[in-house]
Amino acid sequence: MAYLTGVAVTAFGKHPGRGPVDLMEEAALSALADAGLPREAVDGLVSGYATTYPHLMMGTVMAERLAIRPRHAHQAQVGGATGAVGIILARHLIAAGACRHVLVVGGENRLTGQSRDDAVKTLAGVGHPIHEVPLGASIPAYYALVAARYLHETGASEADLAELAVLMRRHAAAHPGAQLAKPITVADVMASKPIATPLKFLDCCPISDGAAAVIVSAEPMGAAAIRLAGWGEAHTHQHVSEMPDDLGLGAKLAAAQAFETAGRSPADMRLLGLYDSFTPTLAIFIEALGYAQLGQAGAAARDGRFSRDGALPLNLHGGLMSYGHPGVAGFLAHVVEMVRQMRGEAGERQVADAPLAYCHADGGVFSSHAGFVLERTA
Amino acid sequence: MSGVMLQSCAACGHSWQFRRATCPACGSPSFGEVEAGGGGTVWSVTTVLRAPLPELDVPGGFGIALVKLDEGPRIMCRTAAGLAIGDRVQVAVEDDGMPRAVRAGSELEDAGSG
Ligand SMILES: [Zn+2]
Repeated sequence: MAYLTGVAVTAFGKHPGRGPVDLMEEAALSALADAGLPREAVDGLVSGYATTYPHLMMGTVMAERLAIRPRHAHQAQVGGATGAVGIILARHLIAAGACRHVLVVGGENRLTGQSRDDAVKTLAGVGHPIHEVPLGASIPAYYALVAARYLHETGASEADLAELAVLMRRHAAAHPGAQLAKPITVADVMASKPIATPLKFLDCCPISDGAAAVIVSAEPMGAAAIRLAGWGEAHTHQHVSEMPDDLGLGAKLAAAQAFETAGRSPADMRLLGLYDSFTPTLAIFIEALGYAQLGQAGAAARDGRFSRDGALPLNLHGGLMSYGHPGVAGFLAHVVEMVRQMRGEAGERQVADAPLAYCHADGGVFSSHAGFVLERTA
Repeated sequence: MSGVMLQSCAACGHSWQFRRATCPACGSPSFGEVEAGGGGTVWSVTTVLRAPLPELDVPGGFGIALVKLDEGPRIMCRTAAGLAIGDRVQVAVEDDGMPRAVRAGSELEDAGSG
């Protein structure tokens, strides 16, 4: 059994003068306080990487900064799926009896710690070094190719995708830590400057500074027990050139494992935390998971299905698109919000009741998928 | 001649672009290097308005397409504006080393005018 016992996220946006280790330290200490755990109780540590501080041993760097001596520590690198894979790995370490409290932490000064050109260039490197990167492709270009294909196959429109950006912005407005809170409309998204067709500026998540941390434990700690009930991963390809023809295949494979190990079905879920690097990412996940018909994710958002008072509230902190995206901490912020919602601690963002939730992230270009089911058991 | 090099499996006939030691379809280590004919169909296409490197920036943007070659592999190419998914194209590697996809038939017009 593994439980999410401590969570913390900083505000996302600009944290000038603070490096990745500073930001991760803040989130880690806050997560420990949230769990009510002394730091020496942490016997496992999975750290993210930082593009602003490339290091071979960030796990050990963080252990030293926190003055802990865990029995296991390492740096995980699975792009945007790093936090999700880290949480699943923490569960495996606990199930194996190797650890009892595993700290999963990510954070960096991706916005203020480097130029925007450097950030875009580093991220483009997930592409193929011979057959993709030299052509001038970037992360938005890789996702734009998938987005164009998605629109072609489903008949959805760019305005449909824009609905998802509008929804994330509306949710972010209720969270004081969000980077982007000014309301936007579908017309604003459609009129924003083109980045790589069909993606426009407001279809893309921002680059941010920030950090988040999650503690996974062998037993529940507080009043509410949030159990990691099921987990799944799928790694179908690295490069968009070799992506399966079924755009949702990786998500379907990972989710099927997660629901099977949880002994639950997608229809049991009452809350969603889905990776939303670009509007098509979110649309493809929603549809691959069966939460909207093919091509209908935007329409379902417009109809309120994913709003706070809808059937399936989604990314109530605003997601990557509006809470912000500092790399590994980006998806961990989704998890923090899910746990707070399931505990009933989300204040004015609180949903009526959410005993079961599904979280999903991808890394690369729909390359690595990790998903898990959370269940409130007490 | 397209200049696009593929590996093609002697055992099952599968072809692919990214170099490997064995066939990704059947695992056979027996394959040959072949040059793609260059014919293909646009699987997806985008116009990039913001390049990841300033030296790659082109005023008005540049096209990138994923082309499904007739031999099977999907490969990334540069394109001119105006291509759409499903269009038939001809791919050839240019002097800068980049494969470029043009609408099928138009490469003959270029050759005629040049
Ligand atoms: Zn073969």
